[in-house]
Amino acid sequence: MDRQMTTHFISAEVDLRDTAEELHSAIEIELQKHGEPLRWAVTDVDVDRQKALVEGYVLVEASPVTA
Amino acid sequence: MKPRPLTVVLIVPTGVGASIGGFAGDALPVARAIAQISDTLITHPNVLNGAQLYWPIPNALYVEGYALDKFAAGCWGLQPVHQNRIGLIMDCAIEPELQLRHLQAVDASRATLGLNITDCILTDRPLQVELRTSESGASWGTIGNPDSLLRAAEKLITQAKVQAIAVVARFPDDVGSLALENYRHGKGVDPLAGAEAVISHLIVRTFKIPCAHAPALSALPLDPHLSPRSAAEEIGYTFLPCVLAGLSKAPQFTTQKAQEDSQLSITADRVDAVVIPATACGGSAILSLSGRSSVQIIAVGDNKTQMQVPPEKLGIKALQVNSYLEAIGVLVALRSGITPASLGADISSLRCLSDSTKQI
Repeated sequence: MDRQMTTHFISAEVDLRDTAEELHSAIEIELQKHGEPLRWAVTDVDVDRQKALVEGYVLVEASPVTA
Repeated sequence: MKPRPLTVVLIVPTGVGASIGGFAGDALPVARAIAQISDTLITHPNVLNGAQLYWPIPNALYVEGYALDKFAAGCWGLQPVHQNRIGLIMDCAIEPELQLRHLQAVDASRATLGLNITDCILTDRPLQVELRTSESGASWGTIGNPDSLLRAAEKLITQAKVQAIAVVARFPDDVGSLALENYRHGKGVDPLAGAEAVISHLIVRTFKIPCAHAPALSALPLDPHLSPRSAAEEIGYTFLPCVLAGLSKAPQFTTQKAQEDSQLSITADRVDAVVIPATACGGSAILSLSGRSSVQIIAVGDNKTQMQVPPEKLGIKALQVNSYLEAIGVLVALRSGITPASLGADISSLRCLSDSTKQI
């Protein structure tokens, strides 16, 4: 297991969806842009802007450097 | 015919300043009470771990947070066990004397509790845990060398064939910080909790086996004003015994194919109710379980947190109650087949669907 890994904190805004399940998928897709989601939660909701404020951390694996 | 068993999930998210369960095992009384009226209680280390203190609950499943999210999403099942063979990872940054304290805690657990802890390993590099607080007020942290942690876990699994992993990482002592002082006095957010979750999530995500973490810290100076909620962490040298006891009977994780092969595996469709602090409904597990019409979500108002996410803001249908005592009453009603609303003074009128009113 000679990988270089780092953990990163991410905060993001995600549009509210019709169902909590759809929101779950949208959050995972948003976090996957930064790495593999390890843990996240909606920490607040901006009702006026219809946005969920999300905090989480992701795992980033760098490709091994080859000679 | 056997009645359907009542399966309850109890969640108190870690590192969000929960007024009940945000300190040292202080949601354990809630877990014990809910377990009394459930056939199966599924909960997580933050609820059950009280450092030197713990309570064996025969019908409770000790499920790490990442696995709980996967379970709730329907990806993983939970396979109860009689006993796991446990391996221990220790951060090589832990001072030799503190390492010895932890090894003696392991020996004590083997001798007094009969736990099957067989092997330990030091990480090949310091894990370099750093603590952070997010804008929302939740604690989290980074691990400088996550690959070193995973190398150690891989060795325990492949060479020692362990079935569960306890991790002890050296955490910053943080003596004199306001966050620590508040925590010791039963206020604020556990500054260590978020980073602890990163460690266990990494191992569970990578190897799909039970894992839990205990921080290694220097002993703190005596504080006569220590809160009872935080006191469990100041009665010994390590926080490890509760982790070892929990992991000893933690369920193994099963994938879809194995679930089909095993009738013992518990899956998300077995869940009847989830109990959660009312302001912390934005976690992955709640969002997943709220999509199941058979799950009653019970949101407890007086367990305050730093989060600002009551169920209605996300369109989650939940029964809001004031206290855990009330939540337990709701569970008793559910178990008895009684609609909780029928126990109140006011019973609402029957709803008539629009296209049927003409016929009535």
